[in-house]
Amino acid sequence: MLRKLAVLLLLSSPALADTAEGEALKAMSWDEIVAEARGGTVNWFMWGGADNINLYVSDYVAGILKRDYDITLNRVPITDAAEIVNLILSEKEAGITDAGTVDLIWINGENFRSMKQGGLAFCGYTGLLPNDALVNWDNPAIANDFGVPVEGCEVPWNTVQFAFAHDSAALAEPPRDMAALIAWIKANPGRFTYPAPPDFTGSAFVRHVFTHAAGGPESLLGPFDQATFDAVSARTWAILNEIEPFLWREGATYPNTITQLNELFANGEVAFTFNYDPAQFGLAVQAGTYPETTRSFGLTDGTIGNTNYTLIPFNSPNKAAAMVVQNLLLSGEAQLEKAKTEVWGAAPAIEISRTSPEVQAGFAAIVGHPSVIPAAELAKATLPELQADWLSAIEKGWAEQVGN
Amino acid sequence: MTDRHRILLLLAPALVILGGLFITGLGLTLLRSLRYFPGLGLTDPDLSAYRAILTSPGFLKSLGLSLWIASASTLIAAGLALAAALLLRQTFPGRAVISFLVQLNLTIPHIVGAIGILYLFSQSGSFARLAHAAGLIAAPGDFPALTQDPYAIGIILLYVWKELPFITLILLANLQSISADHESVARSLGATRWQAFRHVLLPMLMPGLAAASALVFAFAFGAYEVPLILGASAPKALPVLAWQSYTDTDLSTRPEAMAMAVLIALFGLLLLFLYMRILRSGGRDAP
Amino acid sequence: MHPRLRLLAALALAGWLVLPFLPLAVWSVAHGWRFPDLWPRALSGKAWGYALSDTAGVLDSFALTVFIALSTTVLAALVGIPAGRALGLYRFRGKGLVTALLLAPAILPGLAIVFGLHGIFLRLGLVGTTGGVILAHLIPVLPYMTLVMAAVFSAFDTGYEDQARSLGASPAQVFRHVTLPAILPGLLAGALFAFLISWSQYLLTLAIGGGRVQTLPLVLYSFAASGRNDITGAIALLYILPGLLILVVTSRWITGRSAAVVGTLRP
Repeated sequence: MLRKLAVLLLLSSPALADTAEGEALKAMSWDEIVAEARGGTVNWFMWGGADNINLYVSDYVAGILKRDYDITLNRVPITDAAEIVNLILSEKEAGITDAGTVDLIWINGENFRSMKQGGLAFCGYTGLLPNDALVNWDNPAIANDFGVPVEGCEVPWNTVQFAFAHDSAALAEPPRDMAALIAWIKANPGRFTYPAPPDFTGSAFVRHVFTHAAGGPESLLGPFDQATFDAVSARTWAILNEIEPFLWREGATYPNTITQLNELFANGEVAFTFNYDPAQFGLAVQAGTYPETTRSFGLTDGTIGNTNYTLIPFNSPNKAAAMVVQNLLLSGEAQLEKAKTEVWGAAPAIEISRTSPEVQAGFAAIVGHPSVIPAAELAKATLPELQADWLSAIEKGWAEQVGN
Repeated sequence: MTDRHRILLLLAPALVILGGLFITGLGLTLLRSLRYFPGLGLTDPDLSAYRAILTSPGFLKSLGLSLWIASASTLIAAGLALAAALLLRQTFPGRAVISFLVQLNLTIPHIVGAIGILYLFSQSGSFARLAHAAGLIAAPGDFPALTQDPYAIGIILLYVWKELPFITLILLANLQSISADHESVARSLGATRWQAFRHVLLPMLMPGLAAASALVFAFAFGAYEVPLILGASAPKALPVLAWQSYTDTDLSTRPEAMAMAVLIALFGLLLLFLYMRILRSGGRDAP
Repeated sequence: MHPRLRLLAALALAGWLVLPFLPLAVWSVAHGWRFPDLWPRALSGKAWGYALSDTAGVLDSFALTVFIALSTTVLAALVGIPAGRALGLYRFRGKGLVTALLLAPAILPGLAIVFGLHGIFLRLGLVGTTGGVILAHLIPVLPYMTLVMAAVFSAFDTGYEDQARSLGASPAQVFRHVTLPAILPGLLAGALFAFLISWSQYLLTLAIGGGRVQTLPLVLYSFAASGRNDITGAIALLYILPGLLILVVTSRWITGRSAAVVGTLRP
């Protein structure tokens, strides 16, 4: 208890800046960076709503950091990464360039775009991490975060692909493509809904409908195109407005968040929920939230996949230590640990073939959770993530044309 | 040392802290709401943020919702608290337990109560399950939407739960200082029980009730975490809307958030003014 | 009132007051409690195990929240006792204005000042620090302490202090042996409320703590927002524990005379 209070008192003094600036770090060797990082503290801001993920970070990752590098990992649970982007933006506006609050943030998509465009990210260092060699930067789904080039501003952590979940005891044969799903919704009034964008997951569902309305992703690749958007969005809103009367509460209201949709699904109120990270279905079954008979599936016309990352803000006072954390997260061992079903079940962001034989054997030995569709199965039909400008336009259009 | 100096010395720390933090905090908010943001290159103050929010239907709906939440919560809680205080003034078995519960409630953070209300009244919550067990509903969707609903029923329920004991305690304290003689005199002069309450007791309780109600109104109008948990996706309660505008990654919405905060502050100042008047007039009229 | 009717009203009131705790308590030991089950499929200590584990950080948050609330209370007493003395013992010009200024932060919603405060604290390097959060908590807490102490001092007879001083007591001795014993009951009531107001702050901590100062309400919300009702229930019960303990130990202070003091307090 006394030690905890001492730590608190230390925390209450403004963070001491690393002696080395970001630029100086980039000129160092990895060994020098590790030496610089020793004794440091990393404040890692990350979504904190899953106990398994929290324990993986606080137990496994923080344990190794303390033991091998004398680095203290302070996991800061948050509910909305946008608030943290805003905090860093406020710090920049207030002239805080080397004593920021945040050392590391779990991020992707629009928030990454905001960080990169606002000059809020520490960039150009990722090649220094030894485990960067395990990452396949030739894969466009890794080298681009929602279409925005990563360019050494963040480090991949997990790859995910959108999947649907249903209760096999209530519904044995779910629809297998978007057209069938739309028909199913109309035939089963009140049994489906989706969270209102800009909820991250609800927005992703709408993008699936958008891609379906476009007849496939081909015309949507690349930068935002107004003419294409106008044509495709008109068809998208027509579909969504057509199914609206058949949605939960006759579509008069939508769930605010994916959590509310999960709750509706858990209580049997709607037949489906969905998630970017299918491992969440397994975690929810383990937690007793979803029935044991929960199963998940992709669509034969494909589901959207993406990568999530960790990023060091430009004004982190502990950049060296944060880089050591990122390097550890990328290691074959750490990626294997979080891929284990009972730990998290998260798909790796590294090329397994580039890891040690022991790690490869470990990955091969993983038995998936019955409620979680294997990543390899999902990967048979993938859709690319649209660029962030498309996202903004779709979310704005939805609010005006559908969710009004 | 003269009294003047002594008073100044005694008050100085409190005035420095509250003045320093509170007044400058409010002042900076006001400046920013006028779009004075040298850091962003805005140096010419103007009223466009106020124009923008006052002509935005979303803001007006949120303002209306927050006023509705505060008025309904205050009226219901005050009415029930009056009844509860009159009940607890009497002696009956179990009174001590209820007094304890009333005090306990005062120590519970709003956020805990809000989550409890959510688990009780949501469409898959405890009451919906009881309704299902009683055969009244077949599915969660048949249960009326009482949380995250457009009329903010869940939010009002939480405030009634949380503020009823608060007002009750204040009324009980007032009742202790009012001797029963006034009522017995009125009764002996031929007043009915209702008349004695209406014309003797109630006027004496009024200042306390009004002051407590002003506090409840101000809190229900400006609280953030309760509508965050129990509110609907649209319209949002004013504090939730303001916080979202403030934390938007697009910094250009900040002056609007600041303008909302200033309007919330103005409502607060109005209530403060009323509250001070009630206290002063209460001090004059009360026995 | 008819006794039976009165009993019914009393039962209804008691039931209403207790009701919201029931689902929280059951959820905290539930494993799988879905509609339309009236009772969980299975009971489990998993949520409590997580909340009480060394690595989950919930206990650290508990200690941090206690530390912040205690520090805020002590600071508020140090500042509030003198200010309360000035307001309670003296009449002076501008007293109404001073009272209004001291009262304002208790009535104005935190949201009215939090954005401006955030801007100031950012420049002072206080965002994300425990010290900054304590300072911010003083804003809603100090008015209570000051007004409670003003009420206490308005019933205080300074004659005893004068007597002690004329008998040769030093100012410190006077305070220790005369003033403090006289104001102690009121001070404890004020401290109790100061602690509880700091204890339940959400928005000020979120904004000024920058997410890094993780008090219990923030941890609670992060699980409530992700739908982990079992862990939410466990943390919620942990969160109300100190208030309950304080109440059991001190209930005599907030009944009776000092309850009148509550009249100046926020809900």
